Amino acid sequence: MSSNSPVNTNNKKPKVLAIASPGGHWIQLNKICNPLDDRFEMVYVTPGAQYATSAKDSRRILTISDASADSKHKLIPLAFQLLSIFIKERPSAIISTGAAPGAIAFLLAKFLPIKTIWVDSIANVSQISRSGRMVQKHADKVITQWEPLSDNKRVVFKGSIL
Amino acid sequence: MIFVAVGTQFPFNRLIEYMDAWAAEHGQEVIAQISDGDYIPKNMKWERFLDGEQYNQNIAEASVFVSHAGMGNIISAREQQTPIIVMNRQFKLGEHRNDHQADGLKWMDKLDGVYAASTQEELNQQLSNIKASNFSEMVCSSTTVGNQNLSNYIADLINE
Repeated sequence: MSSNSPVNTNNKKPKVLAIASPGGHWIQLNKICNPLDDRFEMVYVTPGAQYATSAKDSRRILTISDASADSKHKLIPLAFQLLSIFIKERPSAIISTGAAPGAIAFLLAKFLPIKTIWVDSIANVSQISRSGRMVQKHADKVITQWEPLSDNKRVVFKGSIL
Repeated sequence: MIFVAVGTQFPFNRLIEYMDAWAAEHGQEVIAQISDGDYIPKNMKWERFLDGEQYNQNIAEASVFVSHAGMGNIISAREQQTPIIVMNRQFKLGEHRNDHQADGLKWMDKLDGVYAASTQEELNQQLSNIKASNFSEMVCSSTTVGNQNLSNYIADLINE
C-alpha cells in the first residue's frame, strides 16, 4: 500500500468515504464520485454485498450490514461497524447520497474531525428526503439536485447527475 | 425481449400483474424481476432478484425496460440507451413508504427515452407507442455538465 512508501507520504491524497444504500442511491453515488476517483483516495461503503470489490472492479468497496428507517434495531450493529471503519480508515471526509446507513454515519462523524457532505437523492423532488432531513443540522454541507429545494444557505444546488 | 424490474426493497405486484396480462395478450418474450412479490407470473419468465451483471445485461438486451419509478433503473436505462417505461408505486396501496415516486413521474416523463405511466391503460398505451429505433439515436453522455459541476463543487469542499 502507498502508506508504506516514503515517496507518497508528503503528497498523499485525502481519503474520502463514499456511503450509499443499494440501488438508486448507489448508482447516484457512483456518478458523483467517479470524477473524484483520481483526486482522492476513495473508499466505498455499502450494505449491497453484490457490489463488493471483484476482480473487475479495482475500487475498494467495504460491505456493512443494512438498516432502514423501518428496522431500527439494526441501527446499533451498523453504528459499530461504521465506527470501526472510521477508526481504521481515518477519512478526511464522507459523502453520502442516503439513505439510513449514510445518515447514521453522519451522526457519528459529527463527533469526529471528518467533513460530511450530503447529496440528496435526485428522486426527492418536492422535499429533502427523510434521511436528508435527519442530517440537515449535523452535516457540513447538504446539497440538493433540485434548484427549488435550495435555500442557498443550509441547502445548496450545484448541478445534478442527469 | 421486454425486461421488467421492480427493485429490491419492496414488491410491486400491480406492475407484475399488468405486465403478465400484457405478455399473455401479445405473446412477446418478457422477463421479470419480481422481488418478494406474491403474485407469480404465468406468462413471463421471472426471478426474484438478479445479480448486478445479469441485471445490466437484461437492460442492455431489452427492446423496452419496464420499471417501478426508481432512479437507479432510469439511470441504468439511459446509460444502456434502452427506452424505459416507469410506473409509480402508490403510498395508499402500501407500495412504498411515501408518494415520492408519484412526484417524480412528472419530471421523469420529460427526460429523453423515459416514458411515464400511472395506470394500466397508460402502461399499455406506452408499450404500443414506443419505437426503440428513434431512441437509439439519442445522444447519451455518461457524464453531463451538471454532474461534472456537482462533482467539482464537492472536490473543492473536501479540499477547503
